[in-house]
Amino acid sequence: MNKRRLLLAEDDEDDRMLFSDFLEERNDFELVHSCENGMEVIEYLDAIINVDELPNLVVLDQNMPKMTGSQTLQSLKSTPRYAQIPVAVYTTYTDRRLIDECYKSGAITVVAKPISPSGYHQMMDELIDLIPN
Amino acid sequence: METTHKSTDELLAEIENLKIQLEEANDTIEAIRTGQVDALIVKSDNGHELYTLKSADQTYRVFIEKMTEGAVTLNRDGIIVYSNSQFGKMVGLPLSKITGIFFSSFISPGDENTYEDLISRGWTEDSKGEVLLSSATKVIPVQLSITTLELDEGTSLSIILTDLTPQKQTQLLLKANNEKLQQMNHELELSNHDLQQFASVASHDLQEPLRKIQIFSNFLKERFATDLTQEASAYLDKIISSSQRMKVLIIDILSYSQLSQEDNSYVFTDLNVLINEVLEDYEILLKEKKASIIVDPLPSIEVNPGQMRQVFQNIISNALKFIRKDTPPYIRISANPGVDGNEPATNNESFCYLSFKDNGIGFDDKFARTIFTLFRRLHTKDKFEGTGIGLAISKKIIEKHRGNIIAKGQEGVGSEFIIVLPTRQNTF
Repeated sequence: MNKRRLLLAEDDEDDRMLFSDFLEERNDFELVHSCENGMEVIEYLDAIINVDELPNLVVLDQNMPKMTGSQTLQSLKSTPRYAQIPVAVYTTYTDRRLIDECYKSGAITVVAKPISPSGYHQMMDELIDLIPN
Repeated sequence: METTHKSTDELLAEIENLKIQLEEANDTIEAIRTGQVDALIVKSDNGHELYTLKSADQTYRVFIEKMTEGAVTLNRDGIIVYSNSQFGKMVGLPLSKITGIFFSSFISPGDENTYEDLISRGWTEDSKGEVLLSSATKVIPVQLSITTLELDEGTSLSIILTDLTPQKQTQLLLKANNEKLQQMNHELELSNHDLQQFASVASHDLQEPLRKIQIFSNFLKERFATDLTQEASAYLDKIISSSQRMKVLIIDILSYSQLSQEDNSYVFTDLNVLINEVLEDYEILLKEKKASIIVDPLPSIEVNPGQMRQVFQNIISNALKFIRKDTPPYIRISANPGVDGNEPATNNESFCYLSFKDNGIGFDDKFARTIFTLFRRLHTKDKFEGTGIGLAISKKIIEKHRGNIIAKGQEGVGSEFIIVLPTRQNTF
């Protein structure tokens, strides 16, 4: 199976490093790009000319400057070109309101950021199950 | 000339006679003043003449004398020609020392202009104003109500004086209380704001570095365990468990602080269902501890289900935590049999009483109140884990429901938590 192309938005450098290190240990995901905030996600996607090259999954950190994860999610879902891309929100602190809001906006999942290497792999196993082939 | 040669005795008798006459005259004046006299009979050349006092003004004379306001009458020069006894009391002087002097001599120096204005206006129209009345012994705030009186002797000015001391005191007190209230309100707003700021800090800024500690120490543990000595590994475990504990603390504080801003929707809820949900969550723990739980039929009442579930969860979790070593836990959950929450609400608000009784380690009853305080722990965390927030949250939730929660305990015997809740929350 081809590796699934994943786009990450994460403002924290350590977290970007952890995410990409753990992805490299796997053969199911390929990190196509890391953005530092939601604005960059939109800009990055807008720059892709061929629709077939859009990522298979976007993972958004919630707490980011300029555009939060949930704001970016809403923006993507209201843009026809990106509405079909599966989006997951992952966050340090999950509260009920955020979870509800994200699901309502069309997130495939809202997950708490893992606190261990095994937690990372578990999260990625779940993500791969959630995106359509 | 006989009259010039009166004896001392005769003169003394005459003086005595005059004294008596004077006393009689004074008594008569007093009697007229206080309204005890209806008529006077005066002996004249034409025989006895009857002067009746029971005219229309007699009522008013008594009225003026008995009223709690001071009353004076001034002539054109501002000299007091009449004063009632109340005014005498106000300035602390006998009436004999009041009539014939300038009214302005009782006005506090700072208020002379105000007084002059009032008086000069008073001669043309009714006027009112506040001045300070000063005498040898005291200064009192008074309101002057000035009006002209047409008397036989000519026009004079009548002044009614109302003592404003009690009003001023009440006003001052009211003002002070208002200021205090405003101050407290302001402080409350600040602390509410602080609390919300804090919640935001706690939710992100505190948790993110904490998570870093967690992930990197778990990283070491999972990936580099073989490189670590036994001692290093033990230290690492301490870092991991401490950061986990810190995480729980932050989450608990956060949920406590968010209670006040959470939604306050109340729905008719079967409490049995809530209890069963909690017990299902604890299924494994209950089996492990060989706990027996008896749940009597509970009523359905209007609550915020999520919050009430949290209360039940906190109490049950405490009952499963603070257990005696040799005794399997036993929890009895009951509702007051006399109260049926399904009754339609009447004018008298109906309440529901819930009791959670356990056979755990109990506590000294003197802590019955303090256990609901934030971070209050009766045991070291080595013996019984917990953040000390659970009961504080429970109390806050119950109070939001306009209810009450109390704890009873006996060391080594068990604890009982009693919750009293109104059966209805929504007003129709």
